[in-house]
Amino acid sequence: MTNTSQDRILEVKTLWHYYGNTPALRGIDLEARRGEFVTLLGPSGSGKSTLLRILAGLELPTDVNVMTLDGQDVSNIPANRRNVSTVFQHYGLFPHLNVRENVEYGLRARKVPAADRRERALKMLEQVQLSDFAERPIARLSGGQKQRVAIARSLVLEPVILLLDEPLGALDEKLRIDMQVELLELQRRLEMTFIYVTHSQEEALTMSDRILLMNDGDIVQTGTPEDMFDRPNSRFSASFMGVENLFDAKVVAVSDAGLTVEVNGASIEGVWTGASLPSVGETICCGFRSERVQIADDSTTSMNSLEGKLTSHIYKGKYLDLTYQTALGPIRMRSWQSHAAPTETARIAWHKDQTILCPKS
Amino acid sequence: MFRPPTHVAPASYMSFVLIWGLVALLPTAGLLLWSTLTMENFQIVWEPSLQAYRDVLSSGRWQVTIRTLEIAAIVTLIEILLAVPFALWLAKGTKSAGVRTVSLALLTIPFFLSLSSRTIVWRGVLGLNGPINAALLQLGIIQEPLDWLLFSQFSVILGLIGPYFPTMVFPLYLAFMLIDDEVLAASKDLGASPAFTFWNVIVPLGLPGLGAGIVFTFVPMIGDPVVPELLGGGNVVVLSASVQSLLRILNYTVASALSVLMLVILVAMISLVAAITARFAKGGL
Repeated sequence: MTNTSQDRILEVKTLWHYYGNTPALRGIDLEARRGEFVTLLGPSGSGKSTLLRILAGLELPTDVNVMTLDGQDVSNIPANRRNVSTVFQHYGLFPHLNVRENVEYGLRARKVPAADRRERALKMLEQVQLSDFAERPIARLSGGQKQRVAIARSLVLEPVILLLDEPLGALDEKLRIDMQVELLELQRRLEMTFIYVTHSQEEALTMSDRILLMNDGDIVQTGTPEDMFDRPNSRFSASFMGVENLFDAKVVAVSDAGLTVEVNGASIEGVWTGASLPSVGETICCGFRSERVQIADDSTTSMNSLEGKLTSHIYKGKYLDLTYQTALGPIRMRSWQSHAAPTETARIAWHKDQTILCPKS
Repeated sequence: MFRPPTHVAPASYMSFVLIWGLVALLPTAGLLLWSTLTMENFQIVWEPSLQAYRDVLSSGRWQVTIRTLEIAAIVTLIEILLAVPFALWLAKGTKSAGVRTVSLALLTIPFFLSLSSRTIVWRGVLGLNGPINAALLQLGIIQEPLDWLLFSQFSVILGLIGPYFPTMVFPLYLAFMLIDDEVLAASKDLGASPAFTFWNVIVPLGLPGLGAGIVFTFVPMIGDPVVPELLGGGNVVVLSASVQSLLRILNYTVASALSVLMLVILVAMISLVAAITARFAKGGL
């Protein structure tokens, strides 16, 4: 998809937001294309929900240079006059109205005639497979059904962007995975822009076209799920994206092919994921995923390898989590042969191009 | 842990029903019985009769009942108009727990003083030589002191507003507190103006509180003898005074009949409020 101005449905430049004197958002730049699934990922307190509330218009930003929605300036437009709609974490359904009346609510606020809004509400309920529940009170719905009512209630207004604030957080594990697929199919079918807030990296990786990783009121990394998973560009990103083995490293040599670093006396080679290359002697961060670590079968030069001594193993059903004590320190390894007895000492190895080297902050 | 009444041993709830019957229902039944008897020479005549009810309607006591209901209704309406914005602000407007606690405390502190001593203050304020008349005279707005400020229906209504404000605020406050913030945010997000949200979300969800507030405000006000006596000065006779005067002349049967009529009116009104609350809370406006 090309990034022409027509494609760009949302654009935000240097957005600052304060609670009292505390900055909650620090100069955020953000854009979304038509039909894109964008995820705001981050730990609690990172500002992702605040950002979403500002995009919804439920809060007006303290200061922003540009905030346009579908080409129109919305920096001072409150939520009730902004053409976006939010699916809330606990759905925010009206408990005194039934399913159909909930879906009709926004149309009623827009003074759509009764017959017309009824028809549109029922059509939307059909889309989310809730036709049989139209007259049912909200209290008698399951979690997943409430979720779908909330989505229908937003979509019936035909917003240009649908905002979703951790909408799967209140559901149980099994339902959450089903709903991920359902949401994704809905988004593809409607070709609508979704902006999705979550703290779950797994949810973000499954659903997104693009992930914006937030920390402490700022967007620290942007990329496709593959980028975020394989090439985190800071220690925070790596740790948040679930890189289990993280060490401080000192740069020994810099070349076009890669970097050589020294971690606790051991020499490691890897790929630089940061912006500008570091200089020799600088302290950086070295990380690799436990599922990329394996028992060395032969000495290939494309791998880093170390002698290790098994210190713990935990059975997790589908896999085994092993910890080897090495010259580097303890290294976590995920073994998919969960029923094989691990050996006490082994030479463990992992690919150099799967070794992430990034700035410490 | 809460157990539904059906899971409680019959002995425990039957004893409750028994005690309730003795302390509350038995006197009421007695009242009903007495109202259907007559009195001769201060003696009860054990013979069924509707004479007491005829006496209530033929004497001026019926007008007293109507006036009492009218005053209570006006004050209740004023309380609703004052308490709804206040309770809404307290429950949803202020984010500070401190402000909330202080406001709630300020609502209860006046109850430390007796109702009489709180009410008597109005006499000085509203009297012919009081500060209000003095200020109006000084400003040249009036030439003569206003005599309807005190010992009038006006002063009784004014005096009742204060004591019965908290009884309206508290149930409303609790009902508004129970409205999820996300529901209000969703209403705004779906394009509703503040007025639309008020009438379509806050009012229907606050109705149980409003119903309770009306019952707790209106009903005790009907029986309140203090404020009308102190601020009505004999010009505003209300039901409680009427019943008291009947008891003073030992006319028990008419006093009972008046009380029974009042009870019927109140039960009818409470049922009406409950029915409206249930209907609106379910269906929206």
